[in-house]
Amino acid sequence: MPDLRKTLSISSFNRPQRQLLKACVIFFVPLVIIYAVLETVAVRLPITYKIISEYLQAEAPNIKLMALGSSQVKSAFNPALSSVPAITLASSSQHHKEDFLILQGTIDRLPSLEYVLFEISYMHLELPYHSKDYWKNTMYLKYYGVNAFERHTYFKDKLVYLAHPKYYSSRIRNHYFFRNEDSIAYNKFGFDTGNFQGSFSKLNYDTTLIENHYFKYYTRENLDIFKNNTQYLFKMLDYMAKKKLKVMICTVPLYKTYLKKRNPNIVHRRDSVLQLIQSKYSNVIIIDKETDTTNFKVRDFINENHLNPDGAHTFTTMVNGAIGIFEQ
Amino acid sequence: MLFNSFSFGLFLPITLLLYWWAGFNRIKTQNAILFVASYIFYGLWDWRFLLLIGASSLVDYLAALAIDKSQERKWKKLFLFSSLAWNLGILVTFKYYNFFIDQFALLFNLSDGEYAFSTLNLILPVGLSFYTFQTMSYTIDVYKKRVRPTTNLLNFLGFVSFFPQLVAGPIEKASHLLTQFSKKRQFEMETAKEGLRQILWGLFKKMVIADNAALVVNLVYANPENYGSLTLVYASALFFLQIYGDFSGYSDIAIGTAKLFGFKLSKNFNLPYLARSVTDFWQRWHITLTRWFNDYVYFPLIQKNLRSGARRNSAILLTMGLIGLWHGPDWTFVVFGLFQGFLIILERIPLGKDRKSSFYYRPIKSRITAPIFNFILITVSSILFRSQNIEDAWLILKRIVSFIPSIEFTAMTSKYFLIFSVSMLVAEIMTRTKDTPLSQLNKTVKRPVRWLIYYLLIFIIFQYAGFKEDFIYFQF
Repeated sequence: MPDLRKTLSISSFNRPQRQLLKACVIFFVPLVIIYAVLETVAVRLPITYKIISEYLQAEAPNIKLMALGSSQVKSAFNPALSSVPAITLASSSQHHKEDFLILQGTIDRLPSLEYVLFEISYMHLELPYHSKDYWKNTMYLKYYGVNAFERHTYFKDKLVYLAHPKYYSSRIRNHYFFRNEDSIAYNKFGFDTGNFQGSFSKLNYDTTLIENHYFKYYTRENLDIFKNNTQYLFKMLDYMAKKKLKVMICTVPLYKTYLKKRNPNIVHRRDSVLQLIQSKYSNVIIIDKETDTTNFKVRDFINENHLNPDGAHTFTTMVNGAIGIFEQ
Repeated sequence: MLFNSFSFGLFLPITLLLYWWAGFNRIKTQNAILFVASYIFYGLWDWRFLLLIGASSLVDYLAALAIDKSQERKWKKLFLFSSLAWNLGILVTFKYYNFFIDQFALLFNLSDGEYAFSTLNLILPVGLSFYTFQTMSYTIDVYKKRVRPTTNLLNFLGFVSFFPQLVAGPIEKASHLLTQFSKKRQFEMETAKEGLRQILWGLFKKMVIADNAALVVNLVYANPENYGSLTLVYASALFFLQIYGDFSGYSDIAIGTAKLFGFKLSKNFNLPYLARSVTDFWQRWHITLTRWFNDYVYFPLIQKNLRSGARRNSAILLTMGLIGLWHGPDWTFVVFGLFQGFLIILERIPLGKDRKSSFYYRPIKSRITAPIFNFILITVSSILFRSQNIEDAWLILKRIVSFIPSIEFTAMTSKYFLIFSVSMLVAEIMTRTKDTPLSQLNKTVKRPVRWLIYYLLIFIIFQYAGFKEDFIYFQF
């Protein structure tokens, strides 16, 4: 019988194998060390998730309003101006699926939660949801304690740098080396009060230049996605009704150049859903401001579909108005 | 489990260490390790896929043995056709059934509920088309006596499920891969290093080139009506680069991984962007698929009458149409394949009295103009390949020839991406006789410089990788 110590150990590897292993270890050790440094540095970056997470931990028992949604809500609602203690968990490209998972994952920590604000913006019902491996799921897990992966999570799921190396590399570069993030001024709610820089400010808010300026917009209809997203939306609303939450569904202001580009079929379908929600749920108020060109002027926008802090001031006042209606 | 994932970064070294630990004298143990690892690799997508691949392997294993044992030709044929029916049956059920039902309903103007067969809600198992083709070729080759059937079930299971090439090829023949399972493999330091280099190059192509190209391509092809001519041309050319980076990157990782285990897989790409004709392109692009269709569809169709032009042209159209359909149940793929077939036939039309005066025999001599001309043809075809439907493809083509201004064009371009793409192409062209530009690096540069090159590539991958996209060919 062969000697087990010889066959079942590293000594059973031949010399070239051991040499290659040694070379691999020597090669990869510096990489692991550099990665550990990058991860540590990335975790220390003053990103909104971190600030919101700290606020969530400190103020959880008092929070009455939760804002969810994409960057449009993130830039439109300033919790500092809210008439009730509020938190914004909205972030760029966040869709209803993430909204719902965040709500479900945090609701037990928020005993005073009464209001939920979220959006059904122009393309919301016809844009597909993110995959289960969406990079922001790491942020939700790491900072909010929410499992949006919809599976068992592992150590790697909490590695923020690994979740999106390109994004974090650029943030690290900008923050530690070039220090060109001076315009970022997060308040304690994670809202960027210095968020005025965008394509409109670059064009000096010149409406003629803005008219001819290129921006990304969507016009493609997708009925399959519409059906899927609408079903999910109603599931979300049923959950909120069951939890006795007062819901504010908003549409965020768009600048007139974007309004012109909208596909009328998509707008019509979305508006029909809004009407249906209004008639079906007594706990819902619709704050429809998408076409409000009276209260929102060119200087209230960062770009065609995002408000700046001035615009957010006006929009948050409107949200406060809706809260007032609930309280009457 | 994706090759460019953290999980694979753990899975590969663990499997490899176990495999080495077993020792190269213990073929059975090594094959068992490979089999278990491959089933874990595949089962992590969805454990139900294992039932299908397991059943498929068993059917073909038994069918091949039965073909070999049968004395009478009719029985051999029966076992062969049973195996083919099984393989094509699962392929049609999982991949094409809904497409055929929808087309049938469309043809007879039927709406939901008006026809007896309804569409099925099935998940398409990853890599189904790849391993099905591999097992089909095995039973056909046994029937044709090109290969002896194996009696070793473990070897056969390993051959069908070999994880480096399971989900996206290269599609291997039993005579090449199965035989390697029954032989003693050897650990060669140089081959292992080559494997690691090839994996690194594949990751670069996939994560830096393909995933960044995908950002523009996905954006533009999602709403082509919003973009001008130049942007559409750019996105279409980028799609070629994306799919090349994606699939050849995958193949590099697969071949490199196999080398670490002492296996040799077939080359799947040979600088397709240098092709001088469409025929030449298909001999350089997804080589193992073209070879499969040549061996099992095209040649059997023409072999009875090699001189008949009509027969040959029909065979080309059918073969290319099937290659198109192989990519997915959509008319865009079928039309793409037929268009390629049409171009191949055009290339074969004699330009003078001599039969060999065609472009096929005498391609444009210039080393520069021929690939450019061919690239244009392939890019136009790839519009069909990438579009969501025929209407979109038509819309894109119309917008391109309408010369619509592209004010958005500059916003679509990235300096770094262009630098990396050009560098990749130049590096591959300059080292075209090697497997990858990193091959045999130890013969030209010393270790510190080599390592610096590796570190630089890893840095670029981390710093500039696009959003993680699934490998495109997994869906096929």
